[in-house]
Amino acid sequence: MTADTPALSRRSLLKGVSGAALIAPFAPLLAPGRASAQDANSVRVLAVEDPFFFSMKALVPEFEKETGIKVELESLSYDALQARLVSAFVAKTSDADVIAVDQMWLGQYLDNGWIISLNDFIAKDKDVDLGDFIPEVLYSSNMWRGQIGTLPVAAYAQGVMYRKDVFEEFGLSAPPSETSEAWTWDAYVETLKALEGKSFGGQPLFPTVVCGSQPSPIVHMFTQLSASHGASWFKSFPGAPWDFEPQLNGDAWAKSVDVYRQLYKLSPPEAVNYVWFDAGTRFAKGDIGMFYWWTPYFYLVKNAGYMTGKKSDVMEKYATAALPKAAGVPQTVSLGGWSLGVPSSSARQEIGFAFIKWATSKAVQKKMALWPDLNYQFSDFARASLYEDDELKAIYPYLDVQRSMMKQGNGKVTRPPVPGYTALESVLGLTLNQMLTGSGDAKASLEMANGLFSGILKGNLMIPYQKDSYTDTLDAAKALIGQLG
Amino acid sequence: MSVQAALAPRAVVPARASLMRRYLPYLLIAPSVIMLLSLIAYPLLVALRSSFYFWNLQIGPEPLAFVGFDNYVQAFNAFDFRAAVVNTLLMSVIGTAIEFGLGLAIALLLLKALPGMNVVRALLILPTTIAPIVVGFLFRYLYDPGGGLLTWLLKSSGLPVPPEGILGSPATALAAVLFADIWQWTPFFAIVLYASLLSVPDEIIEAARLDRASPLTILLRIKLPLIRRTAAIIVMLRFMQLFNTFDTVLVLTRGGPGTSTRTLGYSLYEQGLVNFNIGLVCAMTWITVLIVNAIVALYVFFAFRNEEW
Repeated sequence: MTADTPALSRRSLLKGVSGAALIAPFAPLLAPGRASAQDANSVRVLAVEDPFFFSMKALVPEFEKETGIKVELESLSYDALQARLVSAFVAKTSDADVIAVDQMWLGQYLDNGWIISLNDFIAKDKDVDLGDFIPEVLYSSNMWRGQIGTLPVAAYAQGVMYRKDVFEEFGLSAPPSETSEAWTWDAYVETLKALEGKSFGGQPLFPTVVCGSQPSPIVHMFTQLSASHGASWFKSFPGAPWDFEPQLNGDAWAKSVDVYRQLYKLSPPEAVNYVWFDAGTRFAKGDIGMFYWWTPYFYLVKNAGYMTGKKSDVMEKYATAALPKAAGVPQTVSLGGWSLGVPSSSARQEIGFAFIKWATSKAVQKKMALWPDLNYQFSDFARASLYEDDELKAIYPYLDVQRSMMKQGNGKVTRPPVPGYTALESVLGLTLNQMLTGSGDAKASLEMANGLFSGILKGNLMIPYQKDSYTDTLDAAKALIGQLG
Repeated sequence: MSVQAALAPRAVVPARASLMRRYLPYLLIAPSVIMLLSLIAYPLLVALRSSFYFWNLQIGPEPLAFVGFDNYVQAFNAFDFRAAVVNTLLMSVIGTAIEFGLGLAIALLLLKALPGMNVVRALLILPTTIAPIVVGFLFRYLYDPGGGLLTWLLKSSGLPVPPEGILGSPATALAAVLFADIWQWTPFFAIVLYASLLSVPDEIIEAARLDRASPLTILLRIKLPLIRRTAAIIVMLRFMQLFNTFDTVLVLTRGGPGTSTRTLGYSLYEQGLVNFNIGLVCAMTWITVLIVNAIVALYVFFAFRNEEW
């Protein structure tokens, strides 16, 4: 039996090619939905290139082997991820089943229906062990209006890193590993001043380093200071009734600016342009005495450069400590990090949730921490039980400090995840950046920023707030955890 | 009647042919016009419509209300608008002028039969082929206060470098961003101007030389007038590109310190892809379009007023 093979004339070839060219632009409209065309037994994960991604990626083959589900893992930078996700959601073309969600995006994504609430999934599946998560982390990063929109895959607090050898050389007492009334921001600045103008190991030493680049890096670092001093962004948030009248003209803000300016004067002058990792890599370089930053830098400073895997000069010479507090003000620590959620457009939400459950599980988080590459770079646990693990404590000796900071965390106060936050962050970041190098009055600059905040919030229909408020407290979060877990 | 009947078919054929001749150019140009309308006019009109709505993706996925000119008022009152306009104009005008001047000088050098010119010509195109974002990262290292090549060169030459670094000081940051752009795009001017200069007839130059015209006179009175159309067009193109600068700003300074390197392009990026304020960014886009087109229209008017098209 022979098949008929029609002769291919030049004319028919041209017709075919022209037809294909004409149809090509409309192919996405004619083709069935991409999700349904994909393998039903695969999951597409869109993540961010933060440290957790690399250890998670290394373990993905285990997930595939255990479940038979193929994982398509893609990572993007912070800005690129946010832009791609929002564009995809607006165009209703999201092709991911699991996405990395920053805590600042959670409210927007849930309110707009772009990701689904995980409440039902969690309630049905006791293996999630919701009660093992640190409540402050879930409250800060994963809950919005009584819904759990995501689960944390990497949780960050802030803490202090200092050089043991430098402190010893200049006869300075080591900062405490627990929050204490004596360890205040004023004491922190005084300690740094004792290092001013000193040299160590034959090179000039800078007492500290700050982030000065606008908008996010400087706001991330500064808001730890302002939260410690009891500064609030708004008249009433997160407690009900929500009132977004800005409060940047309060004394706590002005005091925080004064302290931050002092810290900048004790930093390398070029820190005015430093983004997140610039500050960390500068400390790893060896000419900084002490600084405070996100807890992933507790391990990242072991690398010379950012995630290079090459051991830094300070690897065996630094220790961690508790954040200072303001005298007479209860400590509030900034919490951040990355979580995983399921887009509402995903056709494989169950598989997506299975991946999230796996990646955020105690067993996998521990394996991620034990992944030896890049000098062991993952200790961003949101699960309380992992802070008790002796094997992990041996590799990451600072876990007690980190947990102590997490327990005092409140991400909703330090950087309120309200709709339109990034526009406010732009204004605050610029104001702070200008104040680092300028000598103007802090109160006047903050007053101006307050006016700009007000304009933005009114423009975004947040003042007066017309939607329903929600009593967004840690107690309410704990009640929800108890109910679902 | 019979005469008319006999003539009728003959009369129809020329009429059809004349109709065809009359409309054929429009038919041929129609696909391009449709393509242009759909790719340029449609998005601009959608942006114009959106600019009158409150539409912020952080607040809601759909436009929430018609707000008239509120977005335009907000754009003009924004904390960074004035600085962005001034920086953008400075960058566009100074950048285009320097790139043109340097590009012309290099093009004139390329005309000389110096040894190694073939290699130089090939190497010249390289910076233009690099993505601006990569150029940004490259210059971030070159400007590094702790040992960047350019910082070291400036210090070695005895020139003052701000303690905050070249990118950290409001006095030098904009010039530093501009320098990165000049490094990348001067070769573009050089190559295009070199190609134009090659088309200047040797006989005219030779005749001028016989008349004892100086090299400067030959350049100003003969070469430049003969390449003015090409020069005018690439100046216009680069001006428009520089007006939209944002990628090098994003990588090098994020608009800082303060607002010293903030450009309209960067503000558009921030409002659109960070703050997702679609209504506001559409208003800002239209403001930018109007400014650029006003400047370009003036430029075209003066640059080509004596030209026959």
